Amino acid sequence: MEQIALALFTCLILAIISKNLSLPPIPFYILAGVLLGNSGLKVISADEVFHFLSQLGLIFLLFYVGLELKPGRLISRGSTFLIAGLIDLNVNMLIGFFAALALGFSYYDAFVIASAFYISSSAIVIASLVENRKLILPESETVVWLMIFEDIVLVFLIFFISPEMQHPFILILKIIAVVCLLFGIVKLVKQGLLKILQRDDELPVILTFSAVLSTAFISSYLNIPEVLTVIILGSALSTTNPRAFERISRPFKDVFLILFFFFFGISIEFSGNLSLMQALIISFIAIGSKFFSGFLVGRILHGSSFAGIEIGTNTIARGEFSIAIVAIYGSEIISATVAIMVILTSIVGTFMAKYGSKIKLVLTKES
Amino acid sequence: MSIKSTELPGIGTKYELETEKGDKIAIVFMDSSIQLYVLEKESETPAVAELNAWETRRLGSILTGAIIEAEKEAVEVAFSALSDLRISIHTYIISKNLAGKSIRELAIRRRTGVTIIAVSRKSKNIINPSPSFSFEKGDVLVAIGERDQLKTFESEILEI
Repeated sequence: MEQIALALFTCLILAIISKNLSLPPIPFYILAGVLLGNSGLKVISADEVFHFLSQLGLIFLLFYVGLELKPGRLISRGSTFLIAGLIDLNVNMLIGFFAALALGFSYYDAFVIASAFYISSSAIVIASLVENRKLILPESETVVWLMIFEDIVLVFLIFFISPEMQHPFILILKIIAVVCLLFGIVKLVKQGLLKILQRDDELPVILTFSAVLSTAFISSYLNIPEVLTVIILGSALSTTNPRAFERISRPFKDVFLILFFFFFGISIEFSGNLSLMQALIISFIAIGSKFFSGFLVGRILHGSSFAGIEIGTNTIARGEFSIAIVAIYGSEIISATVAIMVILTSIVGTFMAKYGSKIKLVLTKES
Repeated sequence: MSIKSTELPGIGTKYELETEKGDKIAIVFMDSSIQLYVLEKESETPAVAELNAWETRRLGSILTGAIIEAEKEAVEVAFSALSDLRISIHTYIISKNLAGKSIRELAIRRRTGVTIIAVSRKSKNIINPSPSFSFEKGDVLVAIGERDQLKTFESEILEI
């Protein structure tokens, strides 16, 4: 109890500081965990309850992601969405994978690192766009939809890196069954759901919480990654009233996710100088790689280098999803590497997003 | 001129329009506020204002031509199609001397032309109170009428 209170209170103070400095709070939560946990002062050690609550954070984060993935609206987006998404995916997965291999990671570890390397932080990117008032730019639309594309890829990444405890064919069959089941149930009870969501009392909250939790429970029973089934649940529920579900699940997501980042920080073990060097190199490449892929997207879709700079600088920050990927499947060395990558890219990315337009101005003057 | 609307998942909806002269305006509706962008023709950086829900509504009503002039506890509405019609809506608090009297007893509409459209009593709202409705001290009532009628209402009925 006091451990969680201490963790949350520390994060509250850090959140206030980070907002005042216009910096993203995620790296601060992780650092707080590192400083108070195993690698630091050892004030807080992770117990069962703490672990459970941080798991809830992950589950609600992915449920929230699912709510944005409404099947119909993705299909109607068309080719620009696909082109931007595929450039971003290919460039960053390849660079991330080969960089990790070159630094001596195994194939599996390199793939996990590449996944964490590829996926930008929707939370930080979107907050930057709003705060830096970039929404009038056509590039910002491209960036926002890139985030959605990455969310879809996340589903597949989770599938691919899940530990092989069963035949992949059986896993696919189970997942298809879950998709049919959840979409089917939601279709059947849609009217009832919409009625409940309109109520003012505690029913909508109980409904949301229990739907998410029981879906997670069923998936561990069926031996499917629970993070996958809650995304599917979110996507199924996005056909009803996703705004209402977002509003209701947001407080759960916000609080538990902070504990998730903090818990992740606690569990990191830093060992040796070598891994630190590796992490720094990866972070550096991660910044360059996103800038490059964004630049390509801008050149190809908007036909201008300035648009490319805008998209590149705005997508550098990695965050919640990178941490989620390594928290689900990473080993200790990967966790430390990705933690450093998230901390560095999120802070550098925030600055680049803010001053990206300055780079544009300098370039205009020179040319 | 055409208005284009685009969805920005995770943020809200963006409406864009380009004026005949080539200036661009974009409005982004977010959860609790809006961002209003104005980009002058041939300019690089837009001017941006962030408005809350109330400011947005005010701005909207000014732009659509239904001018609302806010006095203290009152609004006056004019419609662009009916320029000579100006309707005022005013709120009043019932004092001790009117407590226990009903709308019929006071003959509000006959004497002043004002209509009581709502009464708020202890955070409960009574819309369109019947003539037999009697006031209590502390009731907040909403009255509608022309400005002169409301002046009469204030002096004749409320005696303020």
